[in-house]
Amino acid sequence: MNRRARVVAAVGIFLLGSFVASGILEARVQEAPQTSLKPAAATAPGQETPAAPRPARERMAVYVLLAWVWLSIAVLLWLLRLRVREADRVFRMGLNRAVEKPPKGPGH
Amino acid sequence: MNVLRAWIEERLGLRAVTLFLEKKEVPRHKHTFLYYTGSSILLFLGIQIVTGVLLAFYYQPTLAGANASVVRIMTEMPLGWLVRSVHSWSSTFMIAIVFVHLLGIAFTKAYRKPREATWVTGMMLLGASLAFGFTGYLLPWDELSLAATKVGTNLPKAIPVIGTWLTQVMRAGEDVTGDTLSRFFIAHVSVLPLAVLAFLGVHLFLVQRHGMSVPHEVERKGVKAPGLPFWPNFAFREAGVWLVLLGLLITVAVVAAPGIGPQADLMAPAPEGIKPEWYFLFMFQMLKLFPARVLGLNGELVAVLIMMAGMAALLLIPFIDNRPAERKGKIITGLAWAGLAYAVGMSIWSLL
Repeated sequence: MNRRARVVAAVGIFLLGSFVASGILEARVQEAPQTSLKPAAATAPGQETPAAPRPARERMAVYVLLAWVWLSIAVLLWLLRLRVREADRVFRMGLNRAVEKPPKGPGH
Repeated sequence: MNVLRAWIEERLGLRAVTLFLEKKEVPRHKHTFLYYTGSSILLFLGIQIVTGVLLAFYYQPTLAGANASVVRIMTEMPLGWLVRSVHSWSSTFMIAIVFVHLLGIAFTKAYRKPREATWVTGMMLLGASLAFGFTGYLLPWDELSLAATKVGTNLPKAIPVIGTWLTQVMRAGEDVTGDTLSRFFIAHVSVLPLAVLAFLGVHLFLVQRHGMSVPHEVERKGVKAPGLPFWPNFAFREAGVWLVLLGLLITVAVVAAPGIGPQADLMAPAPEGIKPEWYFLFMFQMLKLFPARVLGLNGELVAVLIMMAGMAALLLIPFIDNRPAERKGKIITGLAWAGLAYAVGMSIWSLL
């Protein structure tokens, strides 16, 4: 397994793990009694409905999800940086043009 | 995998597209960052479409159901509040980037020949984006949205001859009612998306047809700006920008999710402190400050005519500023800066 494949595999496992972890958290939130999802019940008519869930547990789940989102973005940005560097190197060396017009060998 | 690729290629001929993207070059200069704004607008438009469809599954555009269905989305649907928040914030992000895109093009004079039609279609897209914001604002059907829509739809009344008719068309009657809500909903989810797709298709075709514009100051040097291949060099950079913007959007949507006020009452007086969306604030403040009579004319009429003249000048700027390097071009640039300072100043004043 070369270095690139190892990096891709590691990132894949990390992302899969993060999705599973987020999914477990989300599932636990949804398994909780539905009354906790209904802040409207506590709101008197004519009053403003709260924008986001109020229970501390749900809030925490959302912030954990947010942390995973940023972590995933950081990993993807790191991967993109590697690809950009590689693409720039190929461009600087003129190899992208070499692919377009393969050099003619002596037999041609 | 290769067999599948060959099967797809045989039917769609996508190689021509990838070849085009590989050959396409993005000029490199100190304003290159402006090229990221166009694709970022597309990103937010895509997010708006996806979240908008999700919201439309549960939203009811009726007098009795509108506010209650939004409350239901926010409180009963799993992560419904987040979907609504992402929809609302992505519209704000999109319009902010549309303004940056527009200003970038205006100040680098990228609208000049042969890109006049690109500018005009871009202005149409700006108008459609603002119309999206205006129609979407009423949909939660709370006190604030009703009052703001009453003020907004009352504005065209000041226009001579067609003003009253225009207001009636917007409101589907004399006043803002349940019919207005239905009309705004249809405009928001059907008419405007179709218009945006049509203008966007032409806009993107023209951008590809003429290539990316080089700023006037770079072009005047007479040296060709160095380029960067679009694929993969620029596309990967663009993907990075998208990721950061996506992260910012989700963060803001979580931290500052919009609430919803009590259901609108058609008979109730307008609540105090009504304000439109931030991108209409400068117009709102201008109308507030304008005297009732100007030179014997209705003040509101004069204000609306000034705003319409400003919009027409903006739309026709490629035809007015056709010699950007000369004195006329410099005066127009100065006027554009003054207009921008005025809009920002008025918006800040309105918030104070």
